[in-house]
Amino acid sequence: MNRAAETSQPAVSGAVALKFAGQTGEYFRIWIVNICLTVVTLGIYSAWAKVRRKRYFYGCTLLEGSAFEYTGNPVTILKGRLIVFAAFIAFSLLSEIHPAIQLVLFITFLGFLPWAILRALQFNARNSIHRNVRFGFNSTKREVGVLLLIPIFLVPLTLGLAYPYYLHRKRRFFLEHSTYGRTAFGFTASARDYYYAALKLSLAFVGFLIGSIATLGIGLIPLYVLLRAYAEATFADVAWRNTTLGDIRFACSWKAGELFVLYFVNALAVLVSVGLLVPWAAIRTARYKLERIVLQSEHGLGGFLAATQENVGAVGDEAGELLGFDFGL
Amino acid sequence: MRNVRALYFDGKSSEGHEVVIAGAVGADGRSALRVRGTGINLEWPLAGVRASDRVGSSRRYLYFPDGSQCETEDNDAVDGLFAEQGATAARLLHRWESGLGYAFAAVVITVAVGWAVIVWGIPALAKQVAFALPGATESLIGRDTLAALDRIVLTPSRLSPDRAEALRRLLAAMTAGIEGAAGYRLELRTGGRVGANAFALPAGIIIVTDELVALSKDDRELEAVLAHEIGHLRQRHVLRHILQDSATALLVAFTVGDLTSLTSLAAAAPTLVLQAKFSRDFEREADDFALDYLARRGIPPDLFAVILRRMEQRTATGKDGVDFLSTHPAIRERIERARGAR
Repeated sequence: MNRAAETSQPAVSGAVALKFAGQTGEYFRIWIVNICLTVVTLGIYSAWAKVRRKRYFYGCTLLEGSAFEYTGNPVTILKGRLIVFAAFIAFSLLSEIHPAIQLVLFITFLGFLPWAILRALQFNARNSIHRNVRFGFNSTKREVGVLLLIPIFLVPLTLGLAYPYYLHRKRRFFLEHSTYGRTAFGFTASARDYYYAALKLSLAFVGFLIGSIATLGIGLIPLYVLLRAYAEATFADVAWRNTTLGDIRFACSWKAGELFVLYFVNALAVLVSVGLLVPWAAIRTARYKLERIVLQSEHGLGGFLAATQENVGAVGDEAGELLGFDFGL
Repeated sequence: MRNVRALYFDGKSSEGHEVVIAGAVGADGRSALRVRGTGINLEWPLAGVRASDRVGSSRRYLYFPDGSQCETEDNDAVDGLFAEQGATAARLLHRWESGLGYAFAAVVITVAVGWAVIVWGIPALAKQVAFALPGATESLIGRDTLAALDRIVLTPSRLSPDRAEALRRLLAAMTAGIEGAAGYRLELRTGGRVGANAFALPAGIIIVTDELVALSKDDRELEAVLAHEIGHLRQRHVLRHILQDSATALLVAFTVGDLTSLTSLAAAAPTLVLQAKFSRDFEREADDFALDYLARRGIPPDLFAVILRRMEQRTATGKDGVDFLSTHPAIRERIERARGAR
């Protein structure tokens, strides 16, 4: 890790948790104005709404007294959305003409996929800033294809047995190409750690089956939510525990039971309130998840050096969102 | 104008420095900003400094020409520094987001416009799309739906070949006089769980169950039911239904959903009530077509009312207490309409 020569501020050492300062009432008003303008402009404003939402959540996420900053340009995101939308329409229309065209289109889509994923990751990373130092994502289309897409195709070929391997690959690919300033993230987990997590999860799955049958199907939905919460907490633990940034280590202490209650109450509240409690649910979810992520560092966060980077368009941003590539928060 | 306490970041490293930002007058007589802290003494012309838009009480950033920046939580003071810029779009937006009354107005506008889009916009669009879809797509959907129904609930018809042929000829005779109805075909099935029933699927497929045939006492009653189904087909109701349902769910999930899929779905659930309204509108349209057809052929519309009544009596679920939530208009209302049509 590169350290700045001088430190004019006392270095904070030890464990620091992220802090989330978002407030329900405030976010409710931002949220409803976002939706209102999106609806009135027939969806065009959605790109601005997204940026505003992200800026609020980033700006309320504090680490050692400094917030995160999101600088994505709405116009770039709108262009990206229009391109994805146009491609989707073209795909649906063209695939009606002849089944053979569908295959050609699918191969074309596969060809574009690494590019779209790469752009999405770069766009998201480079527009995320902390302490005036940008995050970055440096990779190539070829690497996306080899390191990320091939493991995806292994999953169905092995009847799902390769899924933990793919999860490991995905996280590793993401971290090992991500940077904060000039400092690279690292990942110390092995595929074996992921298989161990998956083993725990399959035991939980057996419990889910037995529980569903024992309650004559009544417990199916709650138990399924619990199972999902357990999977989320288990994999987040492995992922964060093995993430490094210079000499910084991370830990994530989400609990399956707490996530379950969180999600269950969220869904109930949103349903009963006809959607009006969505902001409340979003804020409490963010608070729970972010404040249980802890950074451990001996030297504090002051010494990271910035790198120089060019700008990246957002064409891939939307495509990437559909695929869910991010830090998983 | 108040001084702003902030953290200064030079953009070269993540090191933060506590500073105070104050408004000043530059050497050229124009407004400037002065940034002072331990070992830091900078001055920028105000015109060269950009402030990030205010989003709630989240952190605010001041961007300086050399790539350095300041971060602060004192949003009001930052607004004060840039007060001379007047009301920008970003400021109006923040003001809108600040008051509870404005938020209430936003809820009202959203519900009103959203309602209009879902009740008029999407159905109108779905209608356009349903009629513009290529025939190949329609027949694919029709074939798949029929295959699915055959797998799940329907079994082959046990009607005699003669009776089946007679019914097919009846439909052929009916469609001969109707424009665009040439390709419509009859599929006979044993209904089983769905009982005495008839459905119209995309691509001109009309399913009639043996139970319905047995229930009718006069082929003109069946003719009335077939006319109703032809009404559905001519208006492409099933396709429109599929399109409307998926478009509405997608739209709601997209606008509301910045959350996990489970919560987004919960938010989309209330639109199910609207879907039921669409179904009722479609049933009415098909009834109108049937009654019109019967009138032209000189068949008493009472016959339609009669078979509807008999279907209602047969199905245990034919209660008409929950009008708003039922997918079919309360059957009694439809019977009344049929009777009033003479």
